[in-house]
Amino acid sequence: MTLQRHTLFDRLTTVHRPDCALFADGPLPAQVMGPDDLALRLGSETSGRYAAACRPVFEDLRRVVGQLAGLMILAQLTESSEVACLAELESCRRRWAEAGERIGLLAAPDALIPHREQIAAAHAFSGLALGTFSELRPRGDNEAAFDVISRHVRRAYAHLSAATAEKAGLAMVDLSHACCSCGR
Amino acid sequence: MSDYSIWVCEYSYVKNYHKSGVLYGAHNQGFVKLPYCYVVIKGRDHVAMVDVGYNDKDYGKVLGDRFGVENWRNPTTVLAEIGVKPEEVDTCFITHAHFDHFGNVEDFPNAKFYIQEREIAKWVWAMSLPDRLRWMMVAVDPGDIVRGADLARQKRLVTVNGAVSDVLPGIDLHAADDSHTWGSMWVTVRNDGQAQSQDSWVLAGDLVYVFDNIHGPGAAVDEKEVYTPVGLAVGSQTNLVLATEAMMKQVGYDSHRVIPVHEERLRDTFPSRITREGLRITEICLADGETSKVSA
Repeated sequence: MTLQRHTLFDRLTTVHRPDCALFADGPLPAQVMGPDDLALRLGSETSGRYAAACRPVFEDLRRVVGQLAGLMILAQLTESSEVACLAELESCRRRWAEAGERIGLLAAPDALIPHREQIAAAHAFSGLALGTFSELRPRGDNEAAFDVISRHVRRAYAHLSAATAEKAGLAMVDLSHACCSCGR
Repeated sequence: MSDYSIWVCEYSYVKNYHKSGVLYGAHNQGFVKLPYCYVVIKGRDHVAMVDVGYNDKDYGKVLGDRFGVENWRNPTTVLAEIGVKPEEVDTCFITHAHFDHFGNVEDFPNAKFYIQEREIAKWVWAMSLPDRLRWMMVAVDPGDIVRGADLARQKRLVTVNGAVSDVLPGIDLHAADDSHTWGSMWVTVRNDGQAQSQDSWVLAGDLVYVFDNIHGPGAAVDEKEVYTPVGLAVGSQTNLVLATEAMMKQVGYDSHRVIPVHEERLRDTFPSRITREGLRITEICLADGETSKVSA
């Protein structure tokens, strides 16, 4: 126990800044086995079914996180709270709500429960970020709100990153037409 | 008199890139080597970069396994070849938000980053669209946007609207909306510091991949040469051609002053050498008093 405490103390004091997202409540982002890793153990049908159900959720959250980060950049650098009223933010809210419904229906075999938890955590933290957007005030000092949004978005991204599974189609970047889509 | 030295530094490459991605309409014409590069501009007490590459820890395995991208080296290794440390870089111009240009901001801890506001705004818009329109958000990593938000919190991200002169002395940014991406830009270095420069260099980002985008075959329209746009564009090839014309005009139609960073044949045009890691350093020009980093 002492060793664990020291390890935690060292980690908190030497690695993490006071505003680090890891200080927030909830499960820590940690790389977990995905359906592709577990296909042999679970059988391709079981893991494939989970992957297929998870893909639209992952895609929703990938977009929600990207949109939130982009909207935050625009809100900060244009010093405009009007971002909170943009149609893009409303569509982000809708997508986030749809993702929540899909997560509710996402059945994970035991071995993939940690994977589902990372997905659910990404959804929860992006929801916290979304909620904070409504606190932005016209012509007000929004620095504290931006700090909160930033922390939640980073945390949501960390959870989503932890749940990437390239072969299962759970990837952060769509490379299908990219600069590197090169002759393969 | 030259204010800045400019080097094109290869940090990775793909040996077999489909030619149709480089040149619009070049279907079934095989493959070309495509170097991945960033540009270093050094002088007037600044070290600036055009784009920052990608971080191998995020994409390396996928790019290697699926797309044949090889030999990635980190900025510390690559920039050492020209005597620069990543911590010395104070300014980064991000030509567009594709992961291989905007994907490694964390390796430049002291830099301020410039990107077109439209590039961010339109990606946000694209991400808000229904799934059937997903094509419009290819090659962007939400993580890069998240890191961009962090940069903004640290006051290290600047979004610009359209053209901006003298971001650094003699260095201008120019927008090419709805071209390769929604808010692409190119960087012009007026190396004599004059408003009507006789010594301009254009760093084209992905608005021009290779020399053939400027010197395309024109026989079909009874011209010696015509512009042939880059194959990949979420905007339009028309806007790519118009951007090419604008870039060429800036350099008095001296095409060798428009630098395409994905061009393997830069080594045939400018002094170059291959490093121990098998990557190319190309020296575009040297500032007064700077020593060559490619000649023995």
